[in-house]
Amino acid sequence: MYMKKITLSIFLISLIALSTPLASQCNSENFASACIPKLASGFNFLKSYKVDGEGGAKEKVEYSYVFTKGTQYMINLCASGTATDGIVVTIFDSGRNKVASSKINGQFISAIAYPCNATGIYYIQYTFDGAGGKCGGSALGFKR
Amino acid sequence: MKSVILAFATALLLVACGKSKKPDEQAFLNSLDSTKKGPSIDEEVINSILQQIPSPLEISVLLKESGTKYNFSLLNTPDNLSKYNSNFKKALNLGVYGTDLGYTNIYQQNKDGIKYLASIKSLANELNIGQFFDIETIGRLATNSKNLDSLLLITTENFNSINRYLQTQGRANLSVLLLTGGWLEAMQITCQVASKDLKNKELREKIGEQKIILEQILLLFGFYKEDENMASLLKDLTDLKAAFDKINITYTYKESTMEVVNGVAVIKDNSTTTVDITDKDVQAITSIANTIRIKIVS
Repeated sequence: MYMKKITLSIFLISLIALSTPLASQCNSENFASACIPKLASGFNFLKSYKVDGEGGAKEKVEYSYVFTKGTQYMINLCASGTATDGIVVTIFDSGRNKVASSKINGQFISAIAYPCNATGIYYIQYTFDGAGGKCGGSALGFKR
Repeated sequence: MKSVILAFATALLLVACGKSKKPDEQAFLNSLDSTKKGPSIDEEVINSILQQIPSPLEISVLLKESGTKYNFSLLNTPDNLSKYNSNFKKALNLGVYGTDLGYTNIYQQNKDGIKYLASIKSLANELNIGQFFDIETIGRLATNSKNLDSLLLITTENFNSINRYLQTQGRANLSVLLLTGGWLEAMQITCQVASKDLKNKELREKIGEQKIILEQILLLFGFYKEDENMASLLKDLTDLKAAFDKINITYTYKESTMEVVNGVAVIKDNSTTTVDITDKDVQAITSIANTIRIKIVS
């Protein structure tokens, strides 16, 4: 009887341990890779970003990059379902002032074109609006 | 009953083993010399700073767009490869050659590009990160100038993959060296071009703006003071910072305006930066950057 309990416990623990990552799986790497060829013509690829809200556990995903004056940057978004699946990308300067957003007048836009006029460190922040999958990817490109 | 428990234990062990390091990863970790053991530091902080460092490709594009002619003599010759015997030098010069490859690609100098590619592949192999360079594909793309976009894309992806890999392996110190080598080479190219074109305000400003990136690189080196090689390079970079300290960068924030054009959010950035940099500053920075770069590539 005692052995049965131990066996059952091991079985349940194993099952939970193995199934948990699958339940919240987000293949953000695939979305990020898929986003690269979607950069508009003329833009050189710089970085791809994984956007994984971990099923709602994370409110935002943030990266940073030094944008340079005189360079035009493009950031696009890829997700399953509708265009951005509620993912919004917002760019903040080093003082946390908002300089760009992919949500304009309630509309979710899948790409931002940002001609930078001030060199500095910028934060590229991804947030999740509504009940979307909170999973996606993004690519950053540049042109002069 | 015992056999059931044993079967579960074996299954769990197999799952755990699946996540262990591959032989080549272990060889990589074992092969490091002065950078053998990373310090106990917040890798997340380091990685977040590392990803900020802009691609040297941006500088190459600026140079080409501004009408600067291709100049192979500005680059580190691929024949210097045999000089790099320590992993410290290999990682730095992998970054240097990465910038040089980007420069040759942007100028569509494919013959030179292939030479850099060979040296890059060799250094990457020696650092056990050669698996990220598909030399056959890149070489094929490099033989046709129509493939420029694909060539730039694949080489950028390769370097991004290397950096990601090094960071996930807890070897961000090599990533720091790779990015620093690449940045210094781009700096050096820009300085050499600017020294022959003193009236080019944009190039001068570009040099001044590197102050922001150097500050980030110094933050990264601050984590590795215990390493003799890193400490030595940190000292040199601190000298370079002293020259940059004379430059003032003034940032003025003004709210942006946005509109949707053909499904793209087009931003009008109303903020500005002004860079106060004199000819003397450019000369001082050029001189120090060149001294550091000679130490690295020799």
